Parts: sequence; C-alpha cells; structure tokens
Amino acid sequence: MFPKCLFLLLIIPLGTACGPARTSAPGAISTEPPASEVPAGTSIRLTDDLGRTVTLSGPAQRVISLAPANTEILFAIGAGAQVVGRDETSDYPAEALALPTIGGYSGFNLEAIVSLQPDLVLAQGGGFNSPELVSSLEELGLTVYVLPNPPTVEAMFNNLGKVGALTGHGAGATALVDSLTMRVAALDEKILQLSFPTVYYELDATEPTKPYTAGPGSFVDLLIARAGGINVGAELQGQWAQISLEQLVVANPAIIILGDAAYGETPEKVAVRPGWGTLAAIQTGQVFPIDDNLVSRPGPRLVDGLEAMAKLLHPGVFK
Amino acid sequence: MVRAPANNMKIRPYLYTLLFLFMAVVLSITIGSVFIPPADLGRILTGWLNRATFSEPVKTFAFILTDIRLPRTVLVLLTGAALGGSGAAYQGLFRNPLADPYLIGVASGAGLGAVLAMSYKWPYSFWGLMAVPAAAFIGALLTVFLVYALARVGKTIPMTNLILAGVAFGSFATALTTSLMLRSTGELHRVISWLNGGSSQAGWHPVLAMLPFLLFGLGILLLSGHVLNLLQFGDDQAQQMGLPVTRVRTLILLAASLATAAAVSFSGIIGFIGLIVPHVMRLWFGADYRRLLPLSIIGGAGALLLADVMARAVMAPQELPVGIVTALVGVPFFLWVLRRAKNQGYW
Amino acid sequence: MLCIENLSVSYGVHRVLKDVSLEVNSGEVVALIGPNGAGKSTLVRAISGVIPVESGRIYINEDSDAAHQGSRSRSSVNLLSLPPMPRARFLAVVPQSASLPPAFTVWETVLMGRTPYLNFLGQVSAKDEAIAHLGLQKVDALDLSERRVGELSGGEQQRVLLARALAQSTPILLLDEPTSNLDLHYQVSFMETVSALAQRDNLAVLVAVHDLNLAARYADRVSLLVDGGIKATGTPRQVLTPELISTAYRLPVQVIPHPFVDVPLVLPGNK
Repeated sequence: MFPKCLFLLLIIPLGTACGPARTSAPGAISTEPPASEVPAGTSIRLTDDLGRTVTLSGPAQRVISLAPANTEILFAIGAGAQVVGRDETSDYPAEALALPTIGGYSGFNLEAIVSLQPDLVLAQGGGFNSPELVSSLEELGLTVYVLPNPPTVEAMFNNLGKVGALTGHGAGATALVDSLTMRVAALDEKILQLSFPTVYYELDATEPTKPYTAGPGSFVDLLIARAGGINVGAELQGQWAQISLEQLVVANPAIIILGDAAYGETPEKVAVRPGWGTLAAIQTGQVFPIDDNLVSRPGPRLVDGLEAMAKLLHPGVFK
Repeated sequence: MVRAPANNMKIRPYLYTLLFLFMAVVLSITIGSVFIPPADLGRILTGWLNRATFSEPVKTFAFILTDIRLPRTVLVLLTGAALGGSGAAYQGLFRNPLADPYLIGVASGAGLGAVLAMSYKWPYSFWGLMAVPAAAFIGALLTVFLVYALARVGKTIPMTNLILAGVAFGSFATALTTSLMLRSTGELHRVISWLNGGSSQAGWHPVLAMLPFLLFGLGILLLSGHVLNLLQFGDDQAQQMGLPVTRVRTLILLAASLATAAAVSFSGIIGFIGLIVPHVMRLWFGADYRRLLPLSIIGGAGALLLADVMARAVMAPQELPVGIVTALVGVPFFLWVLRRAKNQGYW
Repeated sequence: MLCIENLSVSYGVHRVLKDVSLEVNSGEVVALIGPNGAGKSTLVRAISGVIPVESGRIYINEDSDAAHQGSRSRSSVNLLSLPPMPRARFLAVVPQSASLPPAFTVWETVLMGRTPYLNFLGQVSAKDEAIAHLGLQKVDALDLSERRVGELSGGEQQRVLLARALAQSTPILLLDEPTSNLDLHYQVSFMETVSALAQRDNLAVLVAVHDLNLAARYADRVSLLVDGGIKATGTPRQVLTPELISTAYRLPVQVIPHPFVDVPLVLPGNK
C-alpha cells in the first residue's frame, strides 16, 4: 500500500545519514552546499536514517511530527502551517500546543494519526521512535521519514536541510542554517581565548551518592566542550555515566549545571545534599539550572543551549 | 437412575461464553480513539458485503476499521485465547490454583530474548523487524526447555522440581534482563514499552506469525481435557488408571508453552488473564477440564479484548498498558465472583 | 492369578523390598499385613507400576485355576513390561481416600475408571456408562452419583474409589490400606463388599491392611511383610500366631479364637 510514486530522480545535494561525521573542531563550518528550494509538483527523494528511500510527489502539506525536536524544526524553518499533528511532549513553540496530539511516551495512537490523513510522518531515529512504529505506519500506507540522531551540531544543520526539502522550505532552512552557523562561529572564536573551567552536568540524582552525568560521546559532552568547558564525565564510561560522590569530590568541578532542573532539582536542594558541601562549586554558588530541552532535543534550539551553556561557563564574555 | 446432564446444560456454558466473546469483539471494533458514528459503521458493514467504495470521511473510517482495528482485535483475541487456555492447562498440570502461564519462566525468557535483540541494530527489513519477536519466542522456549531438563529426575518430572527450577530460572533471566536494560539506556523506553504490552505492530503480520503455533498449541490443549481430569487425582492414581503420565505431561507442557510463547512474543507480558479466567470459568461452570479448557480459551479471548478496549478508551487518546487494566479490573472482578460462588469446593 | 516373584525395590541405595514372592489366586482375598514402614504400600505401588522395580518378575496367568499355580506356560502376561494403559486393564488400585479432587461428582469419578478403554479424548460409550453404573451398584453408592466427592464422608469416598476400580474391569484388584480412615461400621461393610466381590466376580484381590482382625475375618490368606521381606504366608490361623505377630510388631500379643466366627482374634498385651 505504498503511494504510487514517480521515480523522477531529483538529487538534492544534502549530506545524508551516510555522510561523514563532522568533528566538533571549533571554527569548523559546514562545507556542504545549501538545500535548494523545490518547486511544488516536483518529486522529492531522500534516504532516511533506516536506509529507506522516501519519495514524495511534492512538498509535504500535512506533516505529523513524532518527536518534539521535529516539531521545533518544522516551525523554525517556516513549515509550521503544514503541521497537522504532534506528539504529546512537543511543547515548543507555543503555536505547536494548538495542534492535536497523537500519542507520545506511552505509545502512539495509530487511529489518530491515520484520521489526520498526513502525507508525511516525521520520526526521530536513534531509538526515539521505534522501528516497529515506523513499520506499522508504513503498513497503513503512510509515508514516514526518519531523521537521524545527529552526533554533532553540524549534523543537526543537515537535518534542517532535509526537513526543508521535504516540506518545500529549502530557503527557510538555508536561512536558518546560515544564521545558526554564524552564531556558532562567533562562539567558537570567542572560546579560543578563554580558559576552560571544569563542569559537572547532572542528568539524574535520584541517588545523590551515585548520580548520573553526561559521559563521553554524549551530546551534552560535546556541547560542554564546544561551550568552553571540561566535562568531568568525559573520563567515565558510557553516555549515561554514573559517577560516585567520591569521584566528584576529587574532580571538584568549578561549575555544576543541573540538567535535571525540570524534575525539581534546584541549587538550594543540591547545596544541602549530605557530603556535597565540600564541593567548590557549591561553596562559590556556581550551581545553575538549565532547560534540558535546549540540549537534548536535536533541533535548532541546540544552538540556544550551546549559548546558554557558554553563558554559564564564561559569564563575563557571553551576555 | 443415573442420568447424563440434560443437553441444554451442556451447551449453555458455551453459549454464554461465546456471546461474551462476540460482544467483546463488537466493542473492540467499534471503540477507538476516533469516534465512528453508528450510522457510518452500518454503512461500512453493509458496504463490505457488496464491496462498495466510500468517500471521505467514511473512507478513512473504513480504513481504520479494516487496517487498524480488525487486525488488532484478532491479535488481542488470539493472545487472550492463548493465555486463558494455557493458564487452565498449567493449573491442571500443577494442581495448583496459583499456576499461571508464566510459572516456568516463559515470560522472563521472552523478556530476555527481546532485550538482547533490541540491543542490536537490525536492518530495517521484514526479517529485521521480526528479530525482536523471534528472539522473544526463542528465549521463551529455551527457558522452558532448560527448566524441563533441570527438573527431570530419571524418567519422571516432579512438579515441585519444575516450579522451583522455573522460579529460579525466571529470576535469573529477569535479573539479566534488568541489568541489560540499565546498560542500554537508549533502548530502555522501547524495552519497557514492549514488556508492558508488545510491539504495537499494525497489520496482519503478527497474527500470521502467531497463528501456526497457537493453532498447534491450543489444538492439543483442547484435546487434553480428559487427561487433565485424570491428572487431578495425582500422578499415582492417574498412572494406575492407565495414563502414561510423564509423556502426557510433557506434551501438554509443550503445547501450553508454545501457545504462551507465541502470544508473549507479539503482545508482551500481560498478567492475570491466565490466572483469573480459568478460575472464573471453574467457579461458574465446574472443574471438568474437557469443558474448562475450551471455555477458558474463549473466555480469555473475550476478557483480554475487554481489557484492551478499556485500555484504549479510558484515557483516550492516550493508551494505558493492557497489563495494568487486567490487574486493576481483573482482580476485583475475580474477588467478587469468588464471594458469590455457591460451591466452596469448586477447586 | 497374580504372581510376584523375587521382587526387589530400592529407593536409591536403601532397599525397601527384598526378594518378595507372593501369589494371589482369582476368587481369593489375600491380606498384606505388617508394621509401619514394612513396605506394604511400596509393594502395591511397585505392582501397579508407579515406582520402578529393581529386579524380579510380576506376571499374570490368565488361567484362573489354582491347580496351575506357578505355571508359566499358559498365556502369561509380564506386567512389568507393559505400558500403563494395557497394564491398567489387568489391575486396578483402590488408594486411600485422602487424595481425591473434591470438585468432581461421583459419577464423573467412577467413569474415569474406564480410561484404559477410552481414547485420548476420553469419549465414553453407552457400554462404559453401563459398566460404571454397575460398579456403583455393586458398592451400593448409586444414590451418591450426583454428589460432589468433596462433600462425602470418608466411608462414602472409599466406596466410590472401589466402584471406580471395579469400573476398570480388571481381573486383579489392589487395595492400599482402604480402611485406615474409616470408622468401625465402614471398615466392616467395606471389607464385606470386597470379600463378596472377590468371590462373585472371581477377582484376585490383594489388600494391604493395618487391622489384623479385619484381615483375619475377611481374607482367605494372609501375608506378613516385615522390613521389606515376606515373613510368612498362609491362612489366617497359620500366620496370625503370637510368635510371628509379636516379633513382627515388637509387641506382645495374644491370639484367641474369635467368639463368633472361625478365625483367630489378635489381642495386644500379655496374658
């Protein structure tokens, strides 16, 4: 029950999921050519994160987003009017809240999705939306595109371009990528002159003697480095790394960033945790909450997150 | 003078239970997060008979009915049937009112298999998508096989050994599963989702994949009513009345485990149906396994369908995991039935 | 006729039956007596195939004439080599009534005795029902047919078990301490029924009993089992002697003639 597709080969020179991974060297700018705007009526053909070739007969007019990052991307590139449904956790921008929801954390509602009659369902890869879900939607004759989980900020720019191509907002995507690139470049330049403080980014502290922090290879780890900090979690194992209080005391980070602020952690609460009082960051009051949506959603607000972090790490330099 | 029960007594339990199943099927097809007006429903149903084509919005409604609700109804029906039937068989085999289909580790084995499969990124293809249910199925059967081999004493399989080995193995598998889950936090959500209610795969593939094992397993169980009755007298008496106890027990274990494994592989681990439905049937219709087995199969199908409808409807458009509904609703219902039961010696 | 030859049974390294030889002729009741732990139940279970046998032979001579005692040349069936179903057509066991599933009715329970003649599904024919009916009639329990077994008294349950064994239509009947849980009335009535059935239907009956006087009264022959071995086999008068009994039971006993019938009466205690 796949839509009958005309296989007009219109190659869009975008980095695909198989493109080379970019290292986060400060100052590097994506050298990939911008996405060209696609006139309505021309067929669009892209390969997604699952290796599937997805074909649309024209820019998508009724898009359902299965991930909050995708919703943010759609609105940011100017395709907000073409979105007809979102997942429950999509809460940005405010206009998105008016859209009907089709499920989320405890499963997706196939009936709701089908009844909205989308011509494109935008999923997020890297385990966020399961392959079973994609397959189910395909079974029902829907077109699904799975955006890869970007390992770097530049890879995220590629995703913006892809969504732009799919929705006919190539120009909007390009403009957005350009402005984001400039902001990142400016930040990279300022970082060069600075000394990097040690940072502890907290993901979860249900067990205050054994909290979880961003480990090596995680996106937060990347952002910390790019924002001009040294992640104490970089020495550990795994992306969701557990650190013991003892290790933390030895590392004695200069700054503590609370990625679990949304779950109720505050600098005051952290200060009274038993055994934490010896940490320099607590004594100097360098404990800050951060909106973890800015650093965990692979969308354009990652740059906001990067800047927010830079502001925390280097308050004098970044206003 | 001894009379065999009058014919209507023999038929009534089946009639009632089939009616219950029919109502549950109707509810499952008509209720969903998208409200289909009864008028349109009627048009769709009559349209099916003369292969009519529809225009919007009825076209989408018809699509939802045939491509989402119908396959799901059949899948849930088959799962409930498997759980009800094997629950009754396990209770008969072990002569234990607490027995349920997961007693000897099918669930834990399936969970371990699924989690192991989910930690590898399979290619996105038909077989790649079958990897997780297949791994769950293999995990379930391997566990039963290992437990059975562990419990064997010479030529016999003492029931106590089976239970002990099953519990031990199950705990082991669960511990392994949990530690795997803690390590692969990326897949954690997907694993928990699966454990609570299956892979939510649309379409007919899950049904077709389950069907052969279910037919085989439930088919054997349906024929095993008489021997299960015999087994209620204990191994000694059953053998003295001519039953080759070990062989029959192995056959029934295999059949029940096959059906359960197939059900669990696609629907996750749903509790209480296999435990409660046979008890309710026993309370209402007696302990003769020739009747109890088919009634538990039909009743299990209907009960799970009802639970699934409630899971979909109660907090629409959100869906509760079915396992939660079966516990929250099934247990009070069972207690109510138990209190009203006239015959205290129903077990 | 049931022939047991040099039967030995072990639980692991512990030998519980040593070289047991015994014969039970058709039409006679043989009582198996002995102290606790002697192996009476074990013998019954070994004969019925529930526990494995280490060595020895168990066979049935279809010729019921006592004159052919010991003869193996005529249609002799080796019980040990038979799978459960054919074996169940030759011998039926009446266990103690303790372990009966309470939910089945008497009629359903007795019908189960027809299993060796039924298919896997347990489909019952009119003939099977007639035989079950007859069995209930013989033990005078027809009026209990629709009652649930769990509601019956011990005596009634024991009769139901006997009816079930009769429904199995076997030439041999084994009874494993059937009177242990019965009161005086039921003890006597049960043994009378068994004795009458043995004679009337020409059954070979082996009964393991505790009560020596019941054995004396209703058995044609008695076999004394002590510590896994047969100490003596013979008529009640031959076996129920003070010497044999007090040695076996480690208790001084007196044996006097029974005041009403021509059998010995065993009384515990000194003269």
